[in-house]
Amino acid sequence: MAERRSRRLTVVGVLVASLVLTLFGRLYYVQVLDPHKPTQTAGLLHGGEYTVPAPRGQILDALGRPLVTNRTAHVITVDRETLLEQPDQGAAVLAGLAAVLRTPEHDLAQEITPCGVHVPSPCWTGEPFQPVPVETDASTAAVLAVAEHRELYPGVKVDTETVRDYPGGTLAAHILGYTGAVSADDEKRNPKLNDADTIGRSGLEQEYDSLLRGTDGAQVVQLDPRGFAVGASQEIAPEPGDTLVTSIDRDVQRLAEQAIREQIAKSREAGMPATGAAVVVMDPNTGRILAVASYPTYDPQLFVGGISVADYRRLIEPSANDPLVSRAIAGAYAPGSTFKLISSSSIITHGEATLDGRYPCPPALSVDGRIKTNFESEAPGYPLTLAEALKISCDTWFYAFAANEYYADQARADAGKKPNEYLQHMAAAFGVGTAPGVDLPADEQAAGSYADRESRLARWRANRKQYCADAARGFPQEPDPVQRAYLTKLARENCTDGWRYRAGDNADMAIGQGETTVSPLQLAVAYSAMINGGTLWRPTLGWKVVDPHGKVIRTIKPTVRGVLPVSQGLLHYFANALHFAGDHSVSGAIAFDGAPYKTQIGGKTGTAEVFGKQDTSWFASWGPLDGHGHARFVAVGMVEQAGLGSHAAAPMVRTVYDGLLGVGQPPVLPESRPETSPVIR
Amino acid sequence: MTVLSRDPAKPFTLVPSRVLRPRRVRRGVDIWLAGAALLLALIGAVLVWSATRQRLSDEGRDPQGYLYRHLANIGIGLALVAIAARVDVRRLRIVGPVLYGASLLGLLAVFAFGRTINGAHAWLALPGGMQLQPAEFMKLGLIAGMATMFAQRAAERHAERPTTSDVLIATVLITVPLLLIMLQPDLGSAMVLAAAGFGVLIAADVPARWTLGLIALGALGTFLAIKSGVLAEYQLARFRVFAHPGEDPRGASYNVMQAHIAIANGGLFGRGLFHGPQTRGAFVPEQQTDFIYSVAGEEFGLLGAGLIIVLFAVLCWRGLRIAAHAGRAGRLIAVGVVCWFAFQAFQNIGMNLGLTPVTGLPLPFVSYGGSSMFAQALAVGLLLAVARYSTTQRPVV
Repeated sequence: MAERRSRRLTVVGVLVASLVLTLFGRLYYVQVLDPHKPTQTAGLLHGGEYTVPAPRGQILDALGRPLVTNRTAHVITVDRETLLEQPDQGAAVLAGLAAVLRTPEHDLAQEITPCGVHVPSPCWTGEPFQPVPVETDASTAAVLAVAEHRELYPGVKVDTETVRDYPGGTLAAHILGYTGAVSADDEKRNPKLNDADTIGRSGLEQEYDSLLRGTDGAQVVQLDPRGFAVGASQEIAPEPGDTLVTSIDRDVQRLAEQAIREQIAKSREAGMPATGAAVVVMDPNTGRILAVASYPTYDPQLFVGGISVADYRRLIEPSANDPLVSRAIAGAYAPGSTFKLISSSSIITHGEATLDGRYPCPPALSVDGRIKTNFESEAPGYPLTLAEALKISCDTWFYAFAANEYYADQARADAGKKPNEYLQHMAAAFGVGTAPGVDLPADEQAAGSYADRESRLARWRANRKQYCADAARGFPQEPDPVQRAYLTKLARENCTDGWRYRAGDNADMAIGQGETTVSPLQLAVAYSAMINGGTLWRPTLGWKVVDPHGKVIRTIKPTVRGVLPVSQGLLHYFANALHFAGDHSVSGAIAFDGAPYKTQIGGKTGTAEVFGKQDTSWFASWGPLDGHGHARFVAVGMVEQAGLGSHAAAPMVRTVYDGLLGVGQPPVLPESRPETSPVIR
Repeated sequence: MTVLSRDPAKPFTLVPSRVLRPRRVRRGVDIWLAGAALLLALIGAVLVWSATRQRLSDEGRDPQGYLYRHLANIGIGLALVAIAARVDVRRLRIVGPVLYGASLLGLLAVFAFGRTINGAHAWLALPGGMQLQPAEFMKLGLIAGMATMFAQRAAERHAERPTTSDVLIATVLITVPLLLIMLQPDLGSAMVLAAAGFGVLIAADVPARWTLGLIALGALGTFLAIKSGVLAEYQLARFRVFAHPGEDPRGASYNVMQAHIAIANGGLFGRGLFHGPQTRGAFVPEQQTDFIYSVAGEEFGLLGAGLIIVLFAVLCWRGLRIAAHAGRAGRLIAVGVVCWFAFQAFQNIGMNLGLTPVTGLPLPFVSYGGSSMFAQALAVGLLLAVARYSTTQRPVV
């Protein structure tokens, strides 16, 4: 038995001994005998790369003067590998750098540590072998401190990167737009985007982003298995973005913004709130926009390298009054009497009145049992032709036609026929109710609006439950019994009759009130169509796209959106009726007294009532006319809460014309532009 | 217990076995065994330090982090050795089933709330951020469990040779944890478990036909499990990588190549501590655990790497010596532990030398890792306990 046991142990012992001998033999062979010992080969090294963002293309004005360009900003970077090679692992370098940059040393150390399982944020999200930018747009003092004492800062470098620069400051900020850092959502939408890129967030920067962005380059480095860079790196140069030439004229733009600022100051001096204003200057013959100005505005420079939370809060707080929104393009306002161009077109085109007929202009008119008065109940006391009604802007003249048109439509509806809704169709033909299609992001252009039977019914259907519930409940939260009774009555009316489109609604629309709204740009397009013989442009800001080598790769042409369903004769009639003579017969002409070009231009004022606020002041104009009746410019001005059109908007537009045509100064535009080809400087 | 004396002068005298006086009861510690294990662990500490300091410092962490933790593991291991060495081997009938049962419960717990590290679902999270790998303890549990089972049933039967039912029970004892570990899947540990069980079977004097038959059955069972589709696709994929490491060029074969380069360039005397370019450059992934031997090969050369093999040889020699002088249960435990250490060390060093396929097995005592260190410390302690109670007088039963 004992022998068996010890024999078994011997078996195990022999097995173990053979294993030991095998290992020894193999070890001896591998370490000593092997004639073909493997060595570490360079092929095991792998490559890594990080993005070098392409400089964005510039945005130029019609003469090639820069509106948005790039400047070089100093960036202080830290190379971790060099730091780690220091005896103290770079602690002294970081301490010195932290003092220069005035940041806590601990934060700096965290910032440059690559993110990982054991590394909480904030950490470096880029490649571990990539120098980490610790200060973007570094101050000259910091740059000098680092550059002059290179020996103190091994691994710290001063690099440069291009950032957006706005030579005009706030000039044309709304149309140029601003840029921002690429977000995760952007990368999802476009996998080609990279964290290092900037992207257009609004305006032309957003609309033409793909052209302006260019193609990113890359820094390619050889890495050892730890991910440390070895050997020389190779750079794939980025391809800069294309340059966008616009039809904006820098000087006209500056002029328009200056005119707004002056008028805002004047209106406020006169006691008006004058909370905002806009000017649009376009070429009615080409559809190109020369200037779009809006007040209040913002400084796009704030967005360079990321806007601070405090700055952004300042921009969006209510007292700032929406400086990021272009009132000229994204704002929709009741157009007031400037809308009479459209009402008149409807009345004459559909034969409700003739051009030589005379129709009453009473001080007041009862429409549907409601008294509607002229502005301050003024009336000449005799019947007026269309031209006279336009000149003095008689509201009751238009009320009568709108009411009659309404009753005719009701009669058609009662007879089971489709109502004509001539006024609404004419508004649509002039572009009201659809975005103008300018080359800006769709969400930055207002479509304008008007009421009709269908939209009224649709709205009532959507809200009826709420109306009726409110009527039943009776606004118990409202403390004022008079107000409570009014709101309850209104809710009760809306509950039962909210679907009804009334004669008064049609009358309101005829004078550009009620639910009628347009943007200043839409009005400019509409008046351009009137003066150019009926062409409704889809206006444009972009003109040419030029590649980095200076070659024009695309010309952007404004397209025709439609032709007005109005006779040439009627369009000429309007131009003549509203053309300024030496006198004050046309409303608004008084603002141009003394201007040498006064008899070469025409225009229509508008004063739109806004519930609870001061009137919106409008002036839509064209001129100067050449011998063939072609106007060089259409200029539209709008001032919020500033009173009469002839008191605020018209003088503001006059300032623009004065500059354009050189009154008391050299003309801003000595010849017809932007027909000349763009010059790239 | 009695036995017939074969003394021709007193042919029919009954002699009670308790009367047999042990010739010698050695109560000391087996210095060779304990010394070899401790030396391996200390060498391991230096190697772990060398393997991790550069990498840790690159990550901005404490370069000595792994060293300190390995030293702490050694400290805990020493305490476990001291505790296990105090076990009275005559009480093994209690210790054995407890060790086996607890380890098996641990394996089952892994399936209920285990954690996956490096592809294997093999870890239990303990409070305080610690993690435990029950498979490591199962190795010792299986050896102790089988040993007590054989010893106890033999004692009850008054006959040494195991019966068929003994072998069947042993088969069940091996198979259950083996399957659980293979499902994790942790093929390295499964192979070690089989080798240790195999060692116990040999030492228990199970007839060779049984032993060989069981090996054949195990191979057939594995083959059927793969073919029948009982295993999930990801598990099969791991089997394939195990069988053909070349199919995973970024993983296993890269490791082997880098470890081979490291060891081959160590030469006779090595590059010196902290001066191995492969180790410093962190070319070998998992170097502080499964590929720790490559650090020894590169930085200490043939002398250092050879010393590790020698120390394992000493460990096995002392283990077998203890087995030769131990009672039945102690002998089975000793042989089982020797087979465990021998197989695992061979498999690990062999894969570093490109001799055996890559499996995730640590080098006993040397590799970084708490669970394996603790289980091996318990095993060494148990061997010391066996040695303490062994006699030159071999009890008949």
